[in-house]
Amino acid sequence: MDFTMIDSRATKCVFLIMMILSCPVMLGWADNWEDIQKESARIKSVSAHFSQEKHLQILTKPLVSKGRFYFQAPDSIRWEYTSPVKSVLLMHKGNIKRYTMGSKGIVEESGGTVEAMQIVLQEISLWSKGQFTGNKHFSATIKGTKGPQIILTPKEKGLSAIISRIVINLSADRPGVMKSVKIVENEGNYTLFEFIDVQINVNISETLFREVG
Amino acid sequence: MKAFMLFGHRFLILMATVFLISCSSLSVIRHTDRAAAADAIQRCRRPFLDIPYRVVHSIEAALPGGKTGTVVGVTVFDPAAGTIHSVIMTIEGFVLFEARYEKGGLRVDRAAPPFDRGHFAAHIMEDVRLIFLAPQGRLADAGVLENGSSICRYYENQDRIVDVVVHQDDTWEIETYRTSHERLRKIRALSVQDKIPGILELTGFESSNYSLRLKLISAEPVSAQGQ
Repeated sequence: MDFTMIDSRATKCVFLIMMILSCPVMLGWADNWEDIQKESARIKSVSAHFSQEKHLQILTKPLVSKGRFYFQAPDSIRWEYTSPVKSVLLMHKGNIKRYTMGSKGIVEESGGTVEAMQIVLQEISLWSKGQFTGNKHFSATIKGTKGPQIILTPKEKGLSAIISRIVINLSADRPGVMKSVKIVENEGNYTLFEFIDVQINVNISETLFREVG
Repeated sequence: MKAFMLFGHRFLILMATVFLISCSSLSVIRHTDRAAAADAIQRCRRPFLDIPYRVVHSIEAALPGGKTGTVVGVTVFDPAAGTIHSVIMTIEGFVLFEARYEKGGLRVDRAAPPFDRGHFAAHIMEDVRLIFLAPQGRLADAGVLENGSSICRYYENQDRIVDVVVHQDDTWEIETYRTSHERLRKIRALSVQDKIPGILELTGFESSNYSLRLKLISAEPVSAQGQ
């Protein structure tokens, strides 16, 4: 029952999604890739609350998780779930750690996270410059103008077995703010992330990216 | 040659020790009177719900070598039909495993490694079945333990004995053994409210020990059609 030896594809997916969710920082209000790259440069940090709705055919109502998200350019992330399972993912200066609240308090998880880390950090470096089109893992298309929608489709078979597409909705009235991300696995099964109280370019203590707190 | 024989003796002693450690004696069932046995049989039904339910748990896994991990599990089971539908996903919502246990047997809809290895899926669903569905085997004995807890012993196919123990505070345990008395699994249900455990602890004792701690997130009855 080796749950921690979870598929490297799945692990990679988790971190790729973390990366995608760090897009509030990266996406400006623009309807073409050049403008997105320009807008991306002005956003240095972001802090937000998020809700995660997991829709599954086995569930009659979605499983809702809540938490907080912090990003500091170029590649520091704190992705923290506060309910129903307390968990913190920290990415900072090339280090990645994950902590989960369990019967012995909050403990660092062991497992296949390090392998995925390098890939993700490389991706973040690209995406933080708004370079969606050169992405190795996803092909990207952009739709609409005000409040545009970015659709990411996996290029690799391994990823497409887990994710069929990702739809990023940008705010129509707040440049640089992402409204939601929908990760579609297959028909009836998807995860919807929504962001509220998004603050851009605020001071975030470096400690938040290093310590569980 | 002498050195080889000495090694051989040590090896035998080591193997015997390993065998003795892996074997446990079955609990001694006391028989007071017929009424007590009937009462025990009644109480042994308490761990098992009799209508379809959907339960969501966080699952904390502790594995050999100190590895740990947490996932989320969703299970819908129908005791009357004997069916189970299980999904295991990461905290971020990625489905790693989905399978159904139905009359026709096990059907795996999704299994990301390591869930696709060998009999892994079958073992997971067997653990889930052990937790949520009443034993299917022959009731061989019922009575009380020395501490007053009710116990029922079932003999199932596949060389397996299942002991269901319900304590006086309504918490319960299920233990499985081979007929050679080698212990296979132990499940403890804690913080039981309205027949639903807040915590379930499962320990596996086969080739390598592992433990799962299931913490209840939600539980709700479902219609058979709503599965």
